[in-house]
Amino acid sequence: MGRQLSFSIFRYNPNIPGDAPRMQEYKLEEYEGMTLFVALNDIREKLDPTLMFDFVCRAAICGSCAMMINGRPGLACKTMTGTLPSRINLMPLPVFKLIGDLSVDTGTWFRNLQVRTESWIHTNKKFDPEALEVRMENKTAEAIYEPERCIECGCCVASCITANIRDDFLGATGINRVGRFLIDPRDERTDAEYFEVVGSEEGAFGCVGLMACDDNCPIELPLQQQLAFVRRKMAQAGLKLDLKGMKIS
Amino acid sequence: MELAKTLQVTLNKKANPKTDLYVDLAQSLSGVFLVGFLWMHMLFVATIIVSPELFNSLSEGLDKYYLAQVGIPATILLIICHIFLAGRRAPMRLRDMRIAWRMTKMMGHADTWIWAGQVITALLVGIFASMHLWTVLTQWPLRAATSAARVASVGPADPSWGGFTFPFMIVFYVIFLLVGEYHAGFGLYRILVKWGWFERHKMGYVLKGITVIIVALGFIALYTFTKIAGGGA
Ligand code: SF4
Ligand code: SF4
Ligand code: FES
Repeated sequence: MGRQLSFSIFRYNPNIPGDAPRMQEYKLEEYEGMTLFVALNDIREKLDPTLMFDFVCRAAICGSCAMMINGRPGLACKTMTGTLPSRINLMPLPVFKLIGDLSVDTGTWFRNLQVRTESWIHTNKKFDPEALEVRMENKTAEAIYEPERCIECGCCVASCITANIRDDFLGATGINRVGRFLIDPRDERTDAEYFEVVGSEEGAFGCVGLMACDDNCPIELPLQQQLAFVRRKMAQAGLKLDLKGMKIS
Repeated sequence: MELAKTLQVTLNKKANPKTDLYVDLAQSLSGVFLVGFLWMHMLFVATIIVSPELFNSLSEGLDKYYLAQVGIPATILLIICHIFLAGRRAPMRLRDMRIAWRMTKMMGHADTWIWAGQVITALLVGIFASMHLWTVLTQWPLRAATSAARVASVGPADPSWGGFTFPFMIVFYVIFLLVGEYHAGFGLYRILVKWGWFERHKMGYVLKGITVIIVALGFIALYTFTKIAGGGA
């Protein structure tokens, strides 16, 4: 017989008038290979059909199942209950809009991030569907691929005190993303244009260096290196450039 | 995370788009200089361990070449700048303090706890440094004997206190030493983490090592001072 797990889960549905935030207890028997994702489904199936939480891929790819697991952000589908004590405390991610219980809206936040960091290749080259793809150094491709692995789960944002107290902060995932475009030879943005995107308190210079992002990214992206890289790049750009003629959008 | 740029954001950027960069750089630089100052200061103080003569000649030398006369006001100015530059990172609004505290407790994440410690030690260092400066400057010039007397002095021994005595100054310096070195050591760690280059866990060990050595030197120096004051050494 497996361990008896006791879950303490945050319950609150802002859409139900009069609903109050509270912690609710559930008991479940653990079995071999159980993940938090499985446990939550068991709870919903057997104990409480009203419990809200998100998941899609069950394989640490889509980033939807992030939540605060015993106080720290992590992916429910990637977390084996066996690695946790028998008392498990689950809360929704902070920073993001609360949909209900463990479910939050990371989509809107990341959509804004996409727009603010202009996360697309800026180029004047006309795309020719017939032409061969332009070759890229393998080393460059690998360097781009690393930050590109971000699954937009929001764990880095949730664990960052700066992001928790300042809603205009891009967070490690945002700065990481800009770092990815900075090294992409296809992106023709100038240093001045990058500086406009992250060369401020809302971006690279807002980070306090708490490294909760670096320690809690479930994909283990090298966020410290990325944050420092973008900070240095932007400092260089800022000190070198005369930004007088810069357009202010 | 809002998308719209308000008038204030737009005007801030227009006034000087590089302000945030300069302020961030200045914060890091003021921190590096102050850590440099503190570590040098502690090495100077530690000359007392070798001999009071060395301590005195060093101190006289600093006076003679006006290094103290220039260095002390410059350091005070630097401290004031650092308070403003680094203080802007500390959660100041009640709302922010509550969030920061809740997150720190909830996550139990080492680096975040250390940062909370930095905010608290910053306050203590500010208070302690002012007191230290006041007592030192009002007893200028600084020599082994005056320092020893200061370190060993006891608290109010006035009869109205019921003859109550307590070695306030030594306790003061022990706390000041620990708090100051904590703030400096982890402050430098954070600056280096933010700007990169090193692997942070290895770097953490190196900085902790340096801090332990300096704290040890500080303790030995304090002990030496109390011995000198007691007529020993
Ligand atoms: S290192 Fe920067 S981005 Fe990461 S948690 Fe700390 S403040 Fe946030
Ligand atoms: S950087 Fe890591 S923690 Fe942050 S959103 Fe991407 S995958 Fe999640
Ligand atoms: S369900 Fe997709 S990452 Fe967990």
